Amino acid sequence: MMKRVIAALLILVLALFIYGNLYSTGEGKLFPKFGNVNLSERVSNKFINKNANGENGVVTYKETKDAESGSANMVTSIVVNYRSFDTLGEVTVLFVSALGVGLLLSGKSRMKFKTPPNFILKAGVRIIAGIILITGVYIFIHGHLTPGGGFPGGSMIASAVLLFYISDDEFRTKVKSFKFLEGTAGSLYLIFGLLGLTMGGYFLYNFLPTGVVGELFSAGIVPIIYIFVGLKVGSELSNLISDFLSEEGK
Amino acid sequence: MIQYLFIGLILIGIYGLLTQKNLIKLVVALNVLEVGVNLFIISTGYVKDGVAPILFKGVPSTNGTFVDPLPQALVLTAIVIGVGVTALALTVVRKIYEKHGTLNLDEMGSESDD
Amino acid sequence: MINPVLLIAIPLLFAFLSVMFKKADKGLLVLAVLFNVLAAFLLKETEVVIGGWKPPFGINLIADQYSIFGLIILNTVFALSVFSSFSSVKKYSTVLLVSLAALNGMMLTGDLFNLFVFLEIASISAYILSTMTKKFKGTFNYIILGALGSNLYLLGIIILYSTVGTLNMADMASKIHLVNNNVLLLALTFIFAGFAVEAKLMPFNGWVKGVYGNANDLSGGIFASAYATAAIMMFGRIFTNIFVLDGTLKTIFLTITVLTFILGEIAAFSQKNIRSTLAFSSVGQAGLIATLFLSGLSGVAMMQVANHALAKLVMFTIAGAMYVYAGTDNIEKLQGLFKKHKLIGFGFSVAALSLVGLPIFYGFYVKIFALSNLFKINSYWIPALILFSSLIEGIYYIRMLAKLWNPGEEGKESKDEYTTKLSLENTFAYAVLAVVVGLFILYISYNPEFITQGISNYLSNIAGGM
Repeated sequence: MMKRVIAALLILVLALFIYGNLYSTGEGKLFPKFGNVNLSERVSNKFINKNANGENGVVTYKETKDAESGSANMVTSIVVNYRSFDTLGEVTVLFVSALGVGLLLSGKSRMKFKTPPNFILKAGVRIIAGIILITGVYIFIHGHLTPGGGFPGGSMIASAVLLFYISDDEFRTKVKSFKFLEGTAGSLYLIFGLLGLTMGGYFLYNFLPTGVVGELFSAGIVPIIYIFVGLKVGSELSNLISDFLSEEGK
Repeated sequence: MIQYLFIGLILIGIYGLLTQKNLIKLVVALNVLEVGVNLFIISTGYVKDGVAPILFKGVPSTNGTFVDPLPQALVLTAIVIGVGVTALALTVVRKIYEKHGTLNLDEMGSESDD
Repeated sequence: MINPVLLIAIPLLFAFLSVMFKKADKGLLVLAVLFNVLAAFLLKETEVVIGGWKPPFGINLIADQYSIFGLIILNTVFALSVFSSFSSVKKYSTVLLVSLAALNGMMLTGDLFNLFVFLEIASISAYILSTMTKKFKGTFNYIILGALGSNLYLLGIIILYSTVGTLNMADMASKIHLVNNNVLLLALTFIFAGFAVEAKLMPFNGWVKGVYGNANDLSGGIFASAYATAAIMMFGRIFTNIFVLDGTLKTIFLTITVLTFILGEIAAFSQKNIRSTLAFSSVGQAGLIATLFLSGLSGVAMMQVANHALAKLVMFTIAGAMYVYAGTDNIEKLQGLFKKHKLIGFGFSVAALSLVGLPIFYGFYVKIFALSNLFKINSYWIPALILFSSLIEGIYYIRMLAKLWNPGEEGKESKDEYTTKLSLENTFAYAVLAVVVGLFILYISYNPEFITQGISNYLSNIAGGM
């Protein structure tokens, strides 16, 4: 009880500290109020106008050709182009944590459910799983045009695998082939980065033509990288699921 | 202001980390904290009357139309990192349960060798 | 001409390949580690951008004298640790490769958010490495504190981003004086708290005993030398090059680091096991180095980083090996160990004495340098407290060495059962490590310029370094 009171007091002090300082008024640059953001003061202004490396006029959908980053979705152009190195790190985070889970929970047999899956679940999964898989693939192929990308698409693929797991008592993924896919996709991401280093002089350089903004075949290596990311995330999360549902052999 | 709520979530997460004894609840508190941080990051990029930063028909890229896309990209990274840490934490919790037979920190006892 | 990005890309590529070719994983580990050592020594001062986007829009890697110095130490101690404890690598070679890439990335990156990503990769690999000895409670503690710290760090850099609109370190450093004082105070507090977890500063160092105190020969060596070096060097970079502290905030942070030093050494004094003593000593040393950085003495701090990394590498590897082969690392039970294994004892003793800063050892040179410089900048209570804590440190290390060299009273034969378990074959690699590093420490004790040269080159390039 005493501990909770002390913790509550501590949180109160922290709250006063944050609210007091974050929204303070006075000299110097202040933390912008919600909604009153001046984008022209931020680096992202150049990401929106696609002119980080020099002026190139107004970018218009389906008209501008060979913009410096040809992806219509600006979040994607930041994630896979301007700050692609972060994404490489992010993929590595998922890779190493899936690896760690695999090292710790490497059971031989899979966990059995207390109640066997019923008919509706089994039949429903058979219908819906294909749709989910195709939607997942669609999402990561169109990551540079529409909301979405490699990470949501990959998680959708893994959710289909999870459905297979809960609808079928005997189902086990082929962990080894998923591992192989994961390693291949990760290596290909890095090899594309190194290709950029040899062809353009910069690691992860976008060495393909960027095309017309808004078309499927545009944005250079961005969709290719997002396909690798999607496959990698899908296989990693599927491995996570299968590791969590395994138990020590009998 | 809506940002107060997000900071509130962060504070709730820290309070949970300070007071909870159950390992699963600690992981949940960590996730509440993470969600708070992520929502806060998104909120710093909001521009009044802005739309999602995707080019589409009839919208030229001019200032004031789009919200800041960079915080969204950062949050994408932060979410994935959060997933990785949570998966690993839950695995360790499962291992602790196998070893000690309890999820309560107080009932576990020390694990040093001597 | 080596592109610094290869220091990150090659280990990472090998990590992905090692998942595909399971049988070759150890070979890939050796290759990557050797490549990184070589590349760190060949690296020239340069700055590269990733993806062709010039900073502050893209991410850049900075290889200046500071990071090259850190990279050489980091990659060398990592390689020494992996080779001397090769039998403990087992299934962990992929994790080791990833952590090598992440530590190099932490040292090189010039972007605050990219630093967060590498920090997370490094700490997730550390969580996995800390499960090597199956002490999961310590690991869980580490995960919770580590995740809390990295979220606070993220919050701090986001507050700065939304205020000044940049994430690049150099750009941030040029704009930071525009920021309102209160907002800056809040952001820096969060960033400091985030770094305090990895750099083992108070009050976020509760995980250290559970993780360092339960490490084996491999994870102990890597945590205490490579991880500690990367974390404290990044702390130095952030708080000396980017955010220059002054006023109240500096006093508060200095109080925290000095307290970490003193309380760490006092806690180490009362420990019974070698590893937990070393763990708290690492906490203390982190406090000392952070104090030196915050006082503006980057040069001395870097010297102490080198001294600490080499010394802790030897001591932690040996202590971990005792735990692995003899089943205990209790000082009482291991009495007289070094009498049987004189080479290991030699390396351990040289390392310990140099860390303490006994005359004729390298650490003495560093400490004198530190104290005289602290007096020069007109501070008296910090050097006094450093002297006091060094005294505590000296007492417990010498007490530990005396027990380990001295077999104790006759007739207590049962104690031999622990010392004899370390046979000649399985101590060979540790003996080589101990002798090599011990001799190197003795060498730099008489030729301190060997290490100082790189530092003075660095300091001549920045204003007001010493």
